[in-house]
Amino acid sequence: MTKIIDLSVKEKIYKSKKSKLSILNNFSLEVAAGEKIAIVGESGVGKSSLLNIIGLIDRDYNGEYTLLGSATNNLHTSELAQWRNQKIGFVLQESALINSLTIEDNIKLPLLYAGSGKKEFKPEDFESVINAIGIKPILKKKPLECSGGEKARAVFARGIIMKPQIILADEPTASLDMENRERIVTLLFKMNREFNTTIITVTHDLEIANRHDRVIHLESNSKCFAGVMKQ
Amino acid sequence: MKIFKFIVSKIFLRKAILGIGVMLLLCMANYITFTAARSILSTFQGYQETKYVNQEGVYIANLDPDSHIDMNIIGENGTQAVYDYLNSNFKYAFYTDGFIVSVPNSDDMEISLGYMNEQYNRLNGFELSQGTDLYFDYQLEGEIPVLIGKGLSKTYPVGSTIKIEESVIGRPLTLQVQGVLKQNAYHSNYYALNSKTYYNFSILIPVNEEFINHASMDIQLNGLMDITLLDTSKEEIANLSEIIKDNLGLRFNFFSQKENYDYFNEYYLHSLKIIFITTFILLIVITCLSVWNALVSVRLMLKDFTINLLVGLSYSKLKRIFYGYFGMIAFINVALISIFTAFNRYGCWLRKDATFATYGLFGLIGMDWLALLSVVASDIIIGIIIVESMLWKIKKVPISLGVLQ
Repeated sequence: MTKIIDLSVKEKIYKSKKSKLSILNNFSLEVAAGEKIAIVGESGVGKSSLLNIIGLIDRDYNGEYTLLGSATNNLHTSELAQWRNQKIGFVLQESALINSLTIEDNIKLPLLYAGSGKKEFKPEDFESVINAIGIKPILKKKPLECSGGEKARAVFARGIIMKPQIILADEPTASLDMENRERIVTLLFKMNREFNTTIITVTHDLEIANRHDRVIHLESNSKCFAGVMKQ
Repeated sequence: MKIFKFIVSKIFLRKAILGIGVMLLLCMANYITFTAARSILSTFQGYQETKYVNQEGVYIANLDPDSHIDMNIIGENGTQAVYDYLNSNFKYAFYTDGFIVSVPNSDDMEISLGYMNEQYNRLNGFELSQGTDLYFDYQLEGEIPVLIGKGLSKTYPVGSTIKIEESVIGRPLTLQVQGVLKQNAYHSNYYALNSKTYYNFSILIPVNEEFINHASMDIQLNGLMDITLLDTSKEEIANLSEIIKDNLGLRFNFFSQKENYDYFNEYYLHSLKIIFITTFILLIVITCLSVWNALVSVRLMLKDFTINLLVGLSYSKLKRIFYGYFGMIAFINVALISIFTAFNRYGCWLRKDATFATYGLFGLIGMDWLALLSVVASDIIIGIIIVESMLWKIKKVPISLGVLQ
């Protein structure tokens, strides 16, 4: 299987005036294309920090990171932005929508930044995404006019609109009811099945975590991660 | 451009505090800068122009504020006696204006007449755009050489004649256009240097001894109010003061070069300093308010920025968007001030106000353009401070998924 993520973090430090917190000490991760990985652990152990690093949001750490065969440490910020736009999809909590935009504008936001390196995107691609997710009736609504489940699906649609190779999901079902939770997880896994998209999910929900190929358990103050291979 | 339009219309302008707050604060800063810059420039121009007063042996007349004018005891003989004394004992510069007369012209403006003698013309004469300078050895019976403002030159080209019923001499006069003043020729007020009279619709008539002798009491008295004595001394002036007091019952002060110099420096430089310092303090206060306003806006929009950064916006692009947005607001403000100023200047034409009607590109004169330039300069400084503060604030809380939780 093709290795698309090769990450080695010596440490990630958060500094404040009064304290210094070191996490992800000597942490390493290799992910193959099409893998589904769940990251679990208590609050504050560095789950979201890990996602920030994998998602090219945070480069302020001591370590090396190769994504899709390219070393990311020397990439310019505009290149990082382009990679975030085209190669990585973020599926976040349902609150991660811009309230002043309609659901349609929120979903189409990544297309705005696609620029010259834009993948070929046809109107029917958008149609197929919203039909698959079942949010056509709410496209003209603003987020504040939608239910939690509808917003979660809109966030999901935005995350996959560019057909990314990697989806990073940060607690995507945290505030959803059972029905909507199941819908989002099903959609995530459908992307994985149909397009071989790599899925990395941060979750507190062990039931959802266990449905992934691998579960990585991060422990507080640990020098290295505890990883559990399911397969 | 698409991204800029999107961010501005769908995000910035939806947050009134950034959209309207920055606009209003910048508008205030621009207006203050513009007014102060224009005032300082105008005062500086006036100061430069009246420098001729600050020469050794020059004394300028000023009616004592405690001296009461009683027109019943002032007669033509009295003013003539003063001028007889002046002609015999002094070299003096005579200038007075503001006498309105109706002369047909293409802009249908009321025309202001100004009178000056040869000494004044030498000291503080006007620059010409056409024709030749005045000569003063003319006869009242013949054609009197005159200078006219640019606004009259279309109707009365150099060499043409103008017939007027003129109250100062009390009989019809024939004036011959000798020269045309430069566009927007002006004189500053001695006692309010930032205030100017423009001569685009004026006729300047040369004054010689014969003219003074035949002139009405009005012009003789008006001319005395600002008369400038040259190459003289305090002792000689003391006698003149007595003559004026005896003949007109008025007490005049004559300020020496040093007194004038001290007066200008103490009063006008002090005023300029106050204007400059006040403007500077106000600009700092407004800039601080703008920065605060911008930082509050960033806090309110942090989630929106983070989402945009996650899906492909870069910090460098965001920086360009901020500068573009600020530039757009600054451009709108500068345009508004320009339109407002041009409209004010155009108002003088609508009111047929000959002493303030001016010519200029888009209705703005040189002083306005310089003041606008200072507004642009201050906007650049304020813009850099605000945008860099906003970026600092955004980078202080690095984009992370945590912001969205």
